[in-house]
Amino acid sequence: MGNAGMNALKILLNMPKIFWVNVALIVAFSLISNRYMTINNAINIMQQGAVLLVVTAAMTIVILSEGLDLSLGAVMTMAGIVSVLALRAGWPAPAAILAGVLSGAFLGAITGTLIALCKMSPFIASLGMQGVIYGFTLALTHSKAVFTDNAIFLLIGSRIGHYVPVAAILCGIIFLAVWAILHHTKFGRYVIAIGGNEAGARLSGVNTTFWKWFVYVFAGTVTAMGGVILAARLQVADPIVGVGWEFDAIAATVLGGTSLVKGRGDVSGSFLGVLLIVLLRNGMDVVEMPPIWEPALMGTIIILAIAFQVRASMREEARA
Amino acid sequence: MRRIPSSAAAESSSLASSEYVLQVRNVSKAFPGVQALDNVSFDLRPGEVHVLLGENGAGKSTLMKIIAGAYRPDAGEILIDGRPAVNLTPRKAQELGVGIIYQEFNLVPYLNVAENIFIDQLPTRQLIRLDHKTAHRKAREILASLGMEVPTHALAVELSTAQQQVVEVAKALTHKSRILIMDEPTASLTDREIEQLFMTIRELKSKGIGIIYISHRLREMKEIGDRVTVLRDGKYVGTHELSEVTVDSLVTMMVGREIDLLYEHEEVGPGEEVLRVEGLSSKATGLRDVSITLRRGEIVGLAGLVGSGRTELARAIFNADRHDAGKIIIFGKETKSKTPKDSVRNRVALLPEDRKRQGLALILSVAENVLSASLDKAFPRGWVDLRKQKSIAEEYIKILRIATPSGDQITQYLSGGNQQKVVIAKWLATGSEIFIFDEPTRGIDVGAKREIYAFMNKLKKENRAVLMVSSELPEVIGMSDRIFVMREGTIVAEFSRDEATQEKIISCAMDAIPEKSTGNGIDQNAA
Repeated sequence: MGNAGMNALKILLNMPKIFWVNVALIVAFSLISNRYMTINNAINIMQQGAVLLVVTAAMTIVILSEGLDLSLGAVMTMAGIVSVLALRAGWPAPAAILAGVLSGAFLGAITGTLIALCKMSPFIASLGMQGVIYGFTLALTHSKAVFTDNAIFLLIGSRIGHYVPVAAILCGIIFLAVWAILHHTKFGRYVIAIGGNEAGARLSGVNTTFWKWFVYVFAGTVTAMGGVILAARLQVADPIVGVGWEFDAIAATVLGGTSLVKGRGDVSGSFLGVLLIVLLRNGMDVVEMPPIWEPALMGTIIILAIAFQVRASMREEARA
Repeated sequence: MRRIPSSAAAESSSLASSEYVLQVRNVSKAFPGVQALDNVSFDLRPGEVHVLLGENGAGKSTLMKIIAGAYRPDAGEILIDGRPAVNLTPRKAQELGVGIIYQEFNLVPYLNVAENIFIDQLPTRQLIRLDHKTAHRKAREILASLGMEVPTHALAVELSTAQQQVVEVAKALTHKSRILIMDEPTASLTDREIEQLFMTIRELKSKGIGIIYISHRLREMKEIGDRVTVLRDGKYVGTHELSEVTVDSLVTMMVGREIDLLYEHEEVGPGEEVLRVEGLSSKATGLRDVSITLRRGEIVGLAGLVGSGRTELARAIFNADRHDAGKIIIFGKETKSKTPKDSVRNRVALLPEDRKRQGLALILSVAENVLSASLDKAFPRGWVDLRKQKSIAEEYIKILRIATPSGDQITQYLSGGNQQKVVIAKWLATGSEIFIFDEPTRGIDVGAKREIYAFMNKLKKENRAVLMVSSELPEVIGMSDRIFVMREGTIVAEFSRDEATQEKIISCAMDAIPEKSTGNGIDQNAA
């Protein structure tokens, strides 16, 4: 075996437990159902997971800064609605997409102002924003889903060569960009600094108020990209499509090994967290579990998995 | 990037005093209800270590914050390089070359060493992309210039306290600091780590950096300091060459009274054994086969370096942590207790080292804290009678002479010494008989220390038992009837009061001396 093989083995052995849970799930579901290991289902998983991956990446950044943004599901919803309404008003697709994304930045700026400047607790501020934003999505749409048939816009929801979903590729690119920003920009490092030791960072000359504010602007913007992509894929902007997404995003973040305190964790772990949630949900469909039971079972499994994860990270912290 | 005011007045004064890198002239600062600084002067030469000495509340940290631009003085002026520095802000002070290393941990745990050092000036290229390579190279250069080896890729959370401190120094140096304020830098360092820090400080001196050094450790400042300025109650007492003053005279200047009565030992004559630990081991905390005894009417000291397992032993006895093997026998009965709650019922009290977080609820009132461990006892029906709570608390406030306007005062506004007294009151209220003090006088001023010692002696006379963990050797020797020395998780020696000397204890506590040659092996006395 060559060096490359050894390295690959080493990486595999160092994979976190959640990686092996994912592997086990794939094996289990494919044994139960012969419809599981198909190209179509693989594409399904990609479609289902893509937008959640983007929202989770945004949520992970917020959580790494020792914050929380419960309004991200609503922001995602609003971004789709803004884009679709702009299209219906006759805007060209690129302008409509930009409007959707900017609406996320705007909403994030409000949340960030409440948290960083008004010193409100992130939980309360973002929960309040969630309510306000859903109020507006319902008012803007008169509580009805809005459709669009703009061909250019719908390209985002199309497939390349019959198989590869464009949306999944876009989401993958956004996810990688978030990873790069976390690791290779000042902003990314300040996210860790604010989460790990905000007072210390401030005394070291970091403008923590500004960067904390920017965390929510960034998260809102990234989430809005996910919202626009989702609307394009579904060809419709639904005023409550994002309900519960923040929960999935937080769960995926924690499952991926990011701690709710101290700025410990990484976006890369969140990928595995998203995969776990999507594999579970997709697997339940494939093995034809009654859909009524899906939320309860999902909730239980996620709570168990997180309890496991929290215990593991506590043990790790005790050792440090 | 230094902005220097260039008024005519500044020009003229710069000629007169280029000898000093910093001059503080007649500075005063008042806070509501207290004159924190009253007409205080202070100066600093390049390349010197100038110790700032005073009891807690003497005004050291106020002065430090004024120099660092965090507070604005009510009166007086500050000159940096002979030029008046007006309207200082933290940013401006930094630009003028003032660096400050706070006592608290100011590093970011999950950023690496290089990122921590350059946290506010991370190098970038291509617009916003960080230049990790340059950061690490520069970080290595700075650390090397301090004569220290710290891996720049290590996360701050992985470093020892001493390494963290070096990173803090390096951080200050990136701002071309020529005035470095160090606030109790050795507070949580072991002796060996202190030696390393002193090497770093000497390196800084040779670079011409002036250091303001705040510490409570008198002998240590004699070793590293050049001059000392003493403050008392916000007033300037005097400045001296450290080579010309004795430790005793420094203490006298600080407190304005003699200190020879600080440690008062009284022979009570030990009574029955109340605590016996046999072969205690714990993988999680590193305790190995620990055996000690404690009798009524005695104070037993637990000496050793930081990290030798003293706190771990104290916590294990109190059932704050679990152990894997060994017995804890309290009042002649082997305890089956598993939680701190059982320990309280067994009349054991733990007064932890970190009293702000583990000993008290700072945001609660004094009365609530006093009753916090004995609510079941005082109110067996489960209904807390606030008037009774207050009257019980007032009783202890009187007994312990806790300086507080009333039992309703929020505990965090009390001084360190009075907070410690509240912790003592809490355990008196439970009727505890075995008191485990972990660093009882850390961060407490001399006056309050004396009261804490008097109180420990009182416990002794009341036929209770005291186990005292302490890093201050004079304290251990001055107060204890017997002394156990720990090293690497186990007891390496036991001394009687008459046998114990600082030299003996230190040599047992350091691993330079092999265990057997101490001559006072534990087993001799355990029988």
